[in-house]
Amino acid sequence: MSAKPPRAPIPGGQVSTIRGRWQSPALRWTTRTVIALGLASLVLPGRAATAVATAVVAAVVATPLLRVLWLVHRWRQEHDRRFVVAGLALLGVIALGALLAALGVS
Amino acid sequence: MAAVEELGYAALALVTAGIGALGGLGGAVLLVPVLVLTGMPASEAAPLGLLTVAAGSIAAGPHQLEERTVNHRLGVVTELAASTGAVAGALVSGVISDVALTYLLAVVAFAAALAGVRRTGLRNPPDPACERSDIGERVGALAGAYPLGEQIVPYRTNRLAGGLGFMGLAGFIAGTAGASGGFIKTPATAELMHVPMKVAAATTTFTVGITSSAALVVFALQGRIDAQTSAVVVVGSLVGGQLGARLQSDLSPALIRRVLSVLLVVVATVLVVRA
Repeated sequence: MSAKPPRAPIPGGQVSTIRGRWQSPALRWTTRTVIALGLASLVLPGRAATAVATAVVAAVVATPLLRVLWLVHRWRQEHDRRFVVAGLALLGVIALGALLAALGVS
Repeated sequence: MAAVEELGYAALALVTAGIGALGGLGGAVLLVPVLVLTGMPASEAAPLGLLTVAAGSIAAGPHQLEERTVNHRLGVVTELAASTGAVAGALVSGVISDVALTYLLAVVAFAAALAGVRRTGLRNPPDPACERSDIGERVGALAGAYPLGEQIVPYRTNRLAGGLGFMGLAGFIAGTAGASGGFIKTPATAELMHVPMKVAAATTTFTVGITSSAALVVFALQGRIDAQTSAVVVVGSLVGGQLGARLQSDLSPALIRRVLSVLLVVVATVLVVRA
């Protein structure tokens, strides 16, 4: 008896043009900047160290959300409306969470 | 003395982030229990854990983007459930018993480890009909193809609803315990949704950054983030994340799966001891 042939999941349709040409350098730049600022926060005195450390935290928290925003923009260019809606809904969920936290809901 | 302590946190973050990026696990699942064992309150350790996850995700991004193993569409769709769970978890994190949550984490980690070792070989075989131009994700679908050496492996996502359930759980654990939930996401994506392990691990590395950001926004507004300790922990995790991501692309999917399973057993044991 012959073995079961493998499924043929080859998806049809257009291959996305997203190649990371912008994301990759931006993420590399962010990584290097955050490392430099993080090391600077170790040697800087008092308030300056706190300010730099706060910038590090802000960059780390914001970058994944900016990636989603960038993807929404790219999917819009690809006329992939369903995923544009998914991306915006994701950002909406996070914004709602922020609003609830700001209102002191827990 | 404080500088020595901060360098210790940085070294700890480097090691755990490297391991996390390697298996799409997220270093926080190791870092947070260790920080708590060193005497740090869980409420302070959780945001630090999530910052290492987000930083590791950023560091691993360029390499995985160039390999074209991340499926962004799958990532964003599954993140709808994960980020909802993370926000809910962060908002209610003060109410849930720490012991109960730790036992829950241990059970899930053991289950994920079993799921990882149960299968052998590749579920998605390379397709000789595919060409290099087929590599990438498909517009309008949760599908794609990725390079495995000289061959191309096509795939399509199955059982989305079940996968979303696990992602919601992973997000809730991230928001409450500060662990990334990657140890749930990667096995669920690979074993339940039938996405190739390499794509599942890379997509998880992308999504855990978003899950962490969702919870960290809430933690920041609750005033639970210590910026200076966070900054040094982030430096350690960025360096570790880069090292882990480089190693990930040189290893076979089967090996990654086995390493991931061993790590999950270790994590589960640490969690039981902690509880």
